[in-house]
Amino acid sequence: MTIPVEALIDGLARTLTDAVLPDVTSRFARGQLFAVVDVLRNLRDRLEVKAALHEAEAASATAALERAAAALGRDAAAARIAGALAAAPAGPPAERAAALRAALVTALEAIDALPPEAGGAARAAIAEHLAAQTMRDLAVLKPSLFGEISKG
Amino acid sequence: MADDDLGARLARFVGERLGAPVRVTHLERSTEGFSQETFVFDVEAGRERRGYVAKREPVAGLLEPYDLEPEFRVLHALSDDPLPSPPTPWFTRDPAVLERPFYVMERLPGEVPIPAARADGSGPFDDAERAALGPQVARALARLHAIDWRARGFQFLGAPRPGREAAERELARWEERIRRSGLPVSPPLAEALLWCRRHAPATDAITLVHGDYRLGNFLVVHEAGGPRLTGILDWELVHLGDPLEDVAWCASPLWRAGTPYASALLPPEEFAARWAEASGRAADPERLRFYEVLAFVKMIAIMLSGLDAFRSGRTTDLRMAIFDHQLPFLHLLLGMTRGWLAGAPA
Repeated sequence: MTIPVEALIDGLARTLTDAVLPDVTSRFARGQLFAVVDVLRNLRDRLEVKAALHEAEAASATAALERAAAALGRDAAAARIAGALAAAPAGPPAERAAALRAALVTALEAIDALPPEAGGAARAAIAEHLAAQTMRDLAVLKPSLFGEISKG
Repeated sequence: MADDDLGARLARFVGERLGAPVRVTHLERSTEGFSQETFVFDVEAGRERRGYVAKREPVAGLLEPYDLEPEFRVLHALSDDPLPSPPTPWFTRDPAVLERPFYVMERLPGEVPIPAARADGSGPFDDAERAALGPQVARALARLHAIDWRARGFQFLGAPRPGREAAERELARWEERIRRSGLPVSPPLAEALLWCRRHAPATDAITLVHGDYRLGNFLVVHEAGGPRLTGILDWELVHLGDPLEDVAWCASPLWRAGTPYASALLPPEEFAARWAEASGRAADPERLRFYEVLAFVKMIAIMLSGLDAFRSGRTTDLRMAIFDHQLPFLHLLLGMTRGWLAGAPA
């Protein structure tokens, strides 16, 4: 997730209260809406994204970064990648996953600076992770309601 | 501002410009546009009734910081052009009217098909509709690119010099928006940015570029002879640049609505070929490739801007929040386009 779950819940409650409630006229529906806001506000400080999702991402990213660094041998790019990997904290899982995403960006930049023929294996290691992580991210998503959201 | 108050203010504004008192009726906020606030309304003066649309700068949103004036100046100047852009007579920055700058355009007939598959998974058009509408959309884009922007006085949009400047300037524009969101750059986005920086193509063909020409911004009327393109909407990204930016954006997987077709209308290659034929310009594959990848950079930048506006509380529009879980779809399409989805470097 790009924004913290607390910020998301705060936004949901704010929108329901400020933008939806004024247009809800039935007393019962208004009461139900207040109940939704009440539930959201009380969930806020008791929720976190499943650690297993972050742990799977971190394990895959770590393996990719290690392979990329190994593929580059003694090149300075390898040291840069290894440094970014080592700088990632061991936990909590969300923080480690975020730090490893930043390390992957560092690795991509380091590989990009190499001559095209030098970075192939390292680039492939990162690409493999990007593909796997994209599929993991998609696996937990529900079908989009974009059409309904657009048409109201 | 309550709808009654909004209607009264719009009535005063329009009445002053028409030189007669008017009534505003059937005022409704549109849900299709995700960026500027859009209000649809009728103006009644005596026995006459005309439809209008007001576009107002939002407090925050996908394309902040907002400035409606360039878009208004282009639409106003094109009001007499055969291109189906909405005639746009009025603009004001005066906060006393609707608190924020807005412009008013005439409402064109038609409905806006959106870039989403139907419940059964099919696209928004059947084969006959695609065959009729697709070529119109390609020709209208060619017509848009044929506009003599110098003669129209569009230099204020800032013309890039021939060469790589058009591509580099667009890339820089969207990188700046990503930076301004304050949100982290994902590895798939970083990969795309690095590729774009190395592959910005050169062009001497500088034209007016709509910037958001795609399914979702077309007005379509369904007639006995088939669908007809009646309007090209949402000009807020209009600028001067490489016309292939519009071709790639319109053909992007972002807007295929569950079909393999550019804007759910034509196979992407056919769309580019029809545009090339109508415009007399070449659909250079290298330039097209750059703008295909830039389309994803652009869309992710827009989503990050919306997410930032939502997380900071600058907007209560929950549609911004859905981008958080839509980003993986963008990564999927980006991975397919860049070639890393199969684990292979592109």
